[in-house]
Amino acid sequence: MTVGHGIFILIVVLSLSFFSYNAQRLVRYMMSIGQPENRTDHPLTRIKNLFIIGLAQKKILRDAVAGPLHASVFWGFVVLTIGTAEIIVQGLFPGFTYAAILPVPLYEFYILSQELFAVLVLAAVAVLLYRRIVVKPKRLQGDKVHSGDAILILSMIGALMVSLITLGAFGFALHPDSSTIFQPVSLALSHVFGGLSAGTLEAGRETSWWFHALLILVFLNYLPYSKHLHVLTSLPNTYLANTSGPGVKGAMSYMDLEAEGAEQFGASDVTQLGWKSLLDSYSCTECGRCTAVCPANITGKLLSPRKIMINTRQRLMELAPLATGDFGEFEHHTLVAGEGGDAGDASASAALGNTLLDNYITEEELWACTSCRACVEECPVSIDQLDIINELRRDLVLMESRFPPEIQPAFESLEKNGSPWAFDPGDRAKWAEGMDIPTMAEMVERGERPEVLFWVGCMGSFDDRAKKIAVAFARVLQAAKVKFAILGQEEKCNGDPARRMGNEYLYQMLARDNIETLDRYGVETIVTNCPHCFHQIGNEYPQLGGNYEVIHHSTYIEKLMDENRLPLNGEGKALTVAYHDSCYLGRYNGIYEAPRETMKRALPMMTLVEPPRNRSKGLCCGAGGGRMWMEETVGKRINVERTEELLATGADVLAVACPFCMTMIGDGVKAQGSSVPVLDISEVIAQQLGNQS
Amino acid sequence: MKIAVCIKRVPDMDVRFKIAPIGNAVDEAGLKFDINDFDSWAVEAALQIKDKDSATEVVIVSLGSDSVQETIRKALAMGADRGVELKVARIPFDGLAIAHALAAELKGGGFDLILFGKQSADSSNGAVGAMVGELLGLPVVTAISKLELAGATGSAKREIEGGQEFVEFPLPAVLTIDQGLNTARYPALKGIMAAKKKPLDVRPAQLGEQSVSVTKMELPPERPAGRIIGEGASAVPELVGLLQTEAKVL
Amino acid sequence: MANVFAFAETRNGELRKIGLEAVTAARKIADETGGKVDAFIAGAPGVGAHAEQLAKYGADTVIVVEHAGLEKYNPEALAATVAERIRGGAYRIAIFPTSALGSDLAPRVAAKLGVGLVTDVTAVNLDGDAVIVQHPVNIGKVMATVKMTSQPALIGIRPNMFTPVENPRAGAVERAEPVGDPSASRVVVKEVKLGSSAKLDLGEAPVIVSGGRGLKGPENFKLLEDLAAAFGNAAIGATRVVTDEGWRPHSDQIGQTGRLVSPQLYVAVGISGAIQHLAGMRTSRTIVAINKDKEAPIFKIADYGIVGDLFEIVPVLTAAVKEAKSRG
Ligand code: SF4
Ligand code: SF4
Repeated sequence: MTVGHGIFILIVVLSLSFFSYNAQRLVRYMMSIGQPENRTDHPLTRIKNLFIIGLAQKKILRDAVAGPLHASVFWGFVVLTIGTAEIIVQGLFPGFTYAAILPVPLYEFYILSQELFAVLVLAAVAVLLYRRIVVKPKRLQGDKVHSGDAILILSMIGALMVSLITLGAFGFALHPDSSTIFQPVSLALSHVFGGLSAGTLEAGRETSWWFHALLILVFLNYLPYSKHLHVLTSLPNTYLANTSGPGVKGAMSYMDLEAEGAEQFGASDVTQLGWKSLLDSYSCTECGRCTAVCPANITGKLLSPRKIMINTRQRLMELAPLATGDFGEFEHHTLVAGEGGDAGDASASAALGNTLLDNYITEEELWACTSCRACVEECPVSIDQLDIINELRRDLVLMESRFPPEIQPAFESLEKNGSPWAFDPGDRAKWAEGMDIPTMAEMVERGERPEVLFWVGCMGSFDDRAKKIAVAFARVLQAAKVKFAILGQEEKCNGDPARRMGNEYLYQMLARDNIETLDRYGVETIVTNCPHCFHQIGNEYPQLGGNYEVIHHSTYIEKLMDENRLPLNGEGKALTVAYHDSCYLGRYNGIYEAPRETMKRALPMMTLVEPPRNRSKGLCCGAGGGRMWMEETVGKRINVERTEELLATGADVLAVACPFCMTMIGDGVKAQGSSVPVLDISEVIAQQLGNQS
Repeated sequence: MKIAVCIKRVPDMDVRFKIAPIGNAVDEAGLKFDINDFDSWAVEAALQIKDKDSATEVVIVSLGSDSVQETIRKALAMGADRGVELKVARIPFDGLAIAHALAAELKGGGFDLILFGKQSADSSNGAVGAMVGELLGLPVVTAISKLELAGATGSAKREIEGGQEFVEFPLPAVLTIDQGLNTARYPALKGIMAAKKKPLDVRPAQLGEQSVSVTKMELPPERPAGRIIGEGASAVPELVGLLQTEAKVL
Repeated sequence: MANVFAFAETRNGELRKIGLEAVTAARKIADETGGKVDAFIAGAPGVGAHAEQLAKYGADTVIVVEHAGLEKYNPEALAATVAERIRGGAYRIAIFPTSALGSDLAPRVAAKLGVGLVTDVTAVNLDGDAVIVQHPVNIGKVMATVKMTSQPALIGIRPNMFTPVENPRAGAVERAEPVGDPSASRVVVKEVKLGSSAKLDLGEAPVIVSGGRGLKGPENFKLLEDLAAAFGNAAIGATRVVTDEGWRPHSDQIGQTGRLVSPQLYVAVGISGAIQHLAGMRTSRTIVAINKDKEAPIFKIADYGIVGDLFEIVPVLTAAVKEAKSRG
């Protein structure tokens, strides 16, 4: 054993120990500070996510520029890690090489892959560095992100690649007979070194090897101190991401209000968040993709989903060492990058007295969220920023009764009238007067059962504009001879506004009442034109024992068309239509095509135009998350921002598939002084109904 | 400080009422009940005093059948300390009979302030608070929309037609609360949970003699909805005429 | 034979219209049974001069209590004095106004006498020994018929329900002293501020004139200010769009996310009637809508609507209101 060999073994042992120590500490913080949570259900969905989002880098690639660059680095890392392992093992057992254990063709493929990916990564790193240092894209700024950290890491990666190549090149120059065409870059470079003495070449090779091997260990141990911890956590994070069930996204977490001894509802600090939210905070790469698509942030509000994640990590790193007894570590509370101690005085008692809510994240930020899920959709490492926002809102409302004063009337009306507006529940079915639409009670009395229940929703029941949507959809159903009923006075708000505004107590009250009503009538299939009702009843009522097949009217109309049940007049109108995607239909439920498809079929000569942000990248109208009932006084109004984009398409008609979008976009159009009509897809279709019905 | 707040459970008013078959009451089926708005502001007024001085005890008193417990619990959820139900099968319409029951309960209770809402949304007599004050021999100020306390005296603002009256009074006193004094806080779930454990005593109400009773209830004719009286400025004279003679608001 | 007591409310030494309404209502009941009307008037020295007026509207006797301590409303002294007079008078009915003063006074008197009281009464009838009154309950959505059997029965009449009618009687003046020392009252009215020099609060204003997008710009709110000034007791409101646009301050917003109001009269100008706005004002007693679109939802809840150009209609309305006010 040479001295060098001995030293290397020592270094490897020390650095792995140090790394393990840090790793166990982070895991321990996460598991002991965070609340228990089950993230192992639906394993197939999770494995699928791992492959598509993790390995195939689906979300990274949503950014057309940075996406391919970063994906190259990621794939490079995956491939090069195999080579790295070889080098480390070589250090421990000199003379080891994969050539000894791999069949020749496979080995040749391996070395070729190493070489090619090293070059690919090097090129990507160069461009990424250029972006960081010269271009400075907006999303990489703000929220006190660590550009220095990023530059350091990129430089390290670059240096690893360079040393990998020089290692090969010096080797080939030293032993030209060992050179192989499968390492083309090293080979080419070795010719440059051709004139050097054997001693110099040997020294160059040695240096490259040591540099590479040591840098890997440095890199590994630097990760826990950097936002690049995601290198290690992103894949587990993706596997453990929230999946409410196959195909179900964005259901808020179940809360047992009657739980024995329950004293905390929602979260005001990291100790009350689920452990997965803490893992999320470790995994955030500060890439800012979430903030760049956040409608609140885009229009000048304080909210930044990236800041939510950075703050969570900061607070965790401030509290966890103290709370878990690592007092000696307190001085290092900035262990993982972040401005821990941001919240003020860094004394231990002050740190214990801080909370994530208020000291790090303010009420104003939380109430600005429209729950549009754009951030979650965009995050390349499957972080759920919205989960934290929702939990903090729950604490504000359920524990402290702190919320914008203007939503109190909505809470009170929901409780008293079963609708966020104080209207007489007796008037719920007024829109249907004269249309011969039976209520469930009437139908049951006649001893009949409907094919579907039409869930009208509060907007359709009380809002003058939305009532017209209810009428249009009812006409479509009637034209297709669908036997349907409504609940009329027995329907109540589905509870989504209360739930999204943090009032879980009120939500469960409403939801349980509705479930009781639906079950009493044995309702199985529900159609609704409101995406919030659709999502809530279909995806979140199961938590409370309400299980129904819930279909959005876009999908249902498509189905009626498929079954040739809809008598369309087939009249061509050469209209240009721009469709605005609803968040709760799109990002929450993946329904992007049905609304477009149904309009196309009803209007064969229609041209569908898309605003730049569409489908899963669509911009929220601004009404979700209870924003419908809140003031919007800071920055530009979200509905105006969105309407401008839609009008810029030059469309003759703007189409929506949600009554809330209707209000917001309709107001936006008026604010622009435009007279472009805003229609619900069911209205577009109802206009094309043939007379044969 | 010790404060009593007398509250009433009333139906939600956002509905179209139906008359019960007995003819002298509204049909309660399907109605939602909650604390009377004015009374919730009285509770809030008491709690704001408690917020400043945590040694304050706020006692909620409500007369009614056992269903008022739900309403008392709501006030407890907002932050009051304990409740008293004065149990009756049915709340009488006669304010003086109610005032006797409340006065009997409050007498000797050592309250520095006894607060009421200005009037109840259902029977709308606005009399019980002042009657209780009178029966207890305490100073009474009704319909206040501003309140300041300084030691053993208080000052209040009352809205009067076309102006305001500024009133001074010594404590202990009975006050009735008008709109504008505050907005009632929304009880947090935490408060709702805590309220379940707060004491709530039930005692039979010692109602006074009754000389006022409802013999009949009717729905007034529905006002004709949405009457467009004309187009353009030429319709103005008719509008002004209707405002004077029919709506009587001019 | 039913003798009736009528409390004639004064303010600042002036007899209020509701005082004449009380006398008119009393006269009507007394006449049905051949009874007598005693009007009661109290205030600072000199208030007795109104006795003649009360006689003209039907008071057989006018009880006058003059005392410097009664210049402003003095609830305790007045309640004691009134109770004393009623107790000694064998009245079937005692009538009070349902005003800020009457609503404070009547319950005190009722408690002192141990008799029944119904306020906000819109009609009174006798039925044998009982008094039958109409009294709106449930914020006016239900009308109750109430039977009162105490002797006397105390009634607070709703303003503007008993139009004063001249019906001259002798109106013998009977001077009386206050009971107890008015200057010893515990509850003291220190100051009375009259007139709406201060901006009326939306929650308290009896009339609200409110503008929407139809106003087209902040400068046009002058039209509404003029209309509000013509009403005299009006505050200005606005829709969310208007406050979002910054045409009016956010504190002026009426609607679900702004102020929830229910004034006597709500004049909606250039407002289409979005759900968020309707939720904040639909309980107003009388709603007037002026809008160019006759399909606007606001017309569905308005009592009176005018379809047309607000810029043409509002100035005409302002002039008409001014004129009506100056006449009445
Ligand atoms: S859900 Fe939408 S509004 Fe809320 S933080 Fe995420 S992107 Fe922003
Ligand atoms: S949360 Fe996700 S999208 Fe947002 S900055 Fe962090 S890694 Fe990027």
